Amino acid sequence: MGAKPMKVVTGVVGNDIHVVANRLIDLSLQARGYEVFNLGVNTHLAEFFDAAVETGAEVLMISSLNGEAEGWGREVKLLKAKYKGLDELIMMIGGNLVVGSGNTEDIIARYKKYGFDLVCHQTDLNTGLDLLEEFIQKRSAS
Amino acid sequence: MSLLQEEREVILSNEYVDQFDFDEVTEFVRSASKELFISHHFKNKQKMLVQPRGGFPTYKQQYALYEFFVDADVDVLPLTVDSNTRLNDYGTAQKMLRLSEENDKDMLNGYPLVTHGYRTTRKMITHFDKPVSLRHGTPDARLLIETAIASGIFEIEGGPITYLLPYSKNFPLDKAFLYWKYVEKVCANYSELNEPINRESFGPLTATLVPPSITCVIQLLEMLLSLEEGVTSFSVSFAQQGSMLQDIVTGKVLKKLAAKYAADFNCEEATINLVYHQWMGAFPTNQNFAEQLINLSTVIASMVGADKIITKTREEATGIPTKEANAKTVADTQYCLRILNGLPEVSDEQEEEILTLEVMSIMEAVFNDPADTLWRKVFNCIKSGVIDVPFSPHIINQNKMITIRDAQKNIRILERGNVPISDRCYEFERAQCDLSKDTTGIVNDIIHDIGIMQW
Repeated sequence: MGAKPMKVVTGVVGNDIHVVANRLIDLSLQARGYEVFNLGVNTHLAEFFDAAVETGAEVLMISSLNGEAEGWGREVKLLKAKYKGLDELIMMIGGNLVVGSGNTEDIIARYKKYGFDLVCHQTDLNTGLDLLEEFIQKRSAS
Repeated sequence: MSLLQEEREVILSNEYVDQFDFDEVTEFVRSASKELFISHHFKNKQKMLVQPRGGFPTYKQQYALYEFFVDADVDVLPLTVDSNTRLNDYGTAQKMLRLSEENDKDMLNGYPLVTHGYRTTRKMITHFDKPVSLRHGTPDARLLIETAIASGIFEIEGGPITYLLPYSKNFPLDKAFLYWKYVEKVCANYSELNEPINRESFGPLTATLVPPSITCVIQLLEMLLSLEEGVTSFSVSFAQQGSMLQDIVTGKVLKKLAAKYAADFNCEEATINLVYHQWMGAFPTNQNFAEQLINLSTVIASMVGADKIITKTREEATGIPTKEANAKTVADTQYCLRILNGLPEVSDEQEEEILTLEVMSIMEAVFNDPADTLWRKVFNCIKSGVIDVPFSPHIINQNKMITIRDAQKNIRILERGNVPISDRCYEFERAQCDLSKDTTGIVNDIIHDIGIMQW
């Protein structure tokens, strides 16, 4: 990565206090050279976009463990449209994205429709972060 | 009228409280059966007391749970409170209790004590005539503990740090200290009437790679905050950490330093008990394995010399346990304790010395904070990261400390952050770790270290 690190806003969406993965995402992102703005657990969707604007972040990485992201997902596009300058923001979501169980391909398709570029359902943390790096490289190449 | 009494009247003049009768409650505590006081049992005990966890929405269910526990030879009954009551949302608790009663379906994850009220709950508690321990997780527990004591519940778990840092993202810590000051004072005042009300701190914290030094410091500070308000019976606690040796060392150091600091605060008359929690981390889903883990915890608690053990169940991995599973653990734990005889004395001088030094240097940093009262010193030290709890979700926590397990599964400090342990102790901690790994390797190890019991 270049001299100026990419900025990532991350946090756990909704009424979700599962903090362990959040801390590990923070550590791993830093180790890969990103500048991390970690909003922690129990974060509302609007707070993510506020932080992305405030920090000028290139990546928004939302995580969810209790599966309630499903309920928030539908509002993503609507809410994001109210902000200016977020068109280039890379939108990523990961964790356990449904309550109960579901078909991973269907889940990924659904979340892409909600406006996410990268969707990681029950994916290993480092695999997810590799996906992000590939995505960034592809985008800067095109 | 004292300021405290004025505050009590405000707290208890609540639309969810049915006329709190101060004089009647005082008389009740004064003449209550000694059997209801865990402090009385600690004084006269021949064996480790066994206490399960458990709370159900309705009176009938809670009563049935207690019947099962008594049949299983329980020593201490639990009363676990639902999450709405913990967050002072008594309106929702009331609605959900009605739904639970009308539909035969549990809409609450515990017993809504304030909603049931003390007149009703007292009937159950005095009927069973066993000590009851209040388990909750409430930053503002003022109304809850008034209701509990009036009901005959004479052990109150929790504290401003241990009930906040593991459970909340942004409840103000300074407020929690003041609300708990009220709890301590009320417990201290009632303690003068009969046997003492016992206060217990919640040592497991986040139950995720918390090093023993941090656990001990927080136990000692909550103990001192309680004793300085006049509480005379207090339990420090911690949970199974993953290494038997580390548990034994932690128990020894915690007992020794609790006595030392109580004496430093001129409270050597206070009774300090040691409580051990069976494994509080992620449990195996295989229920037979879960029972092995529970049994191992009981053995370690005996090696540690705990005064009380708090049990888990074989259904831990799947949700709120049934009363059958819960009672089974009590019976199994009692059996294990009966057959555990001739335990060897185990010690490790170096480990004890290192842990003692670590705890004392953090305590010293707290006492040296320029603030005028102990709770403000502690508040400042949490804010600055002198006290740092791994995996706390609270915004005030620094999260600069990184911990990991060594080859023996002892929890070690890999990065101390702002926690003022000496260079010598820090070098000892790091020397036990595998320092060759990069962050990705460390993160993978941490994930593994958190889940060590899930085979």
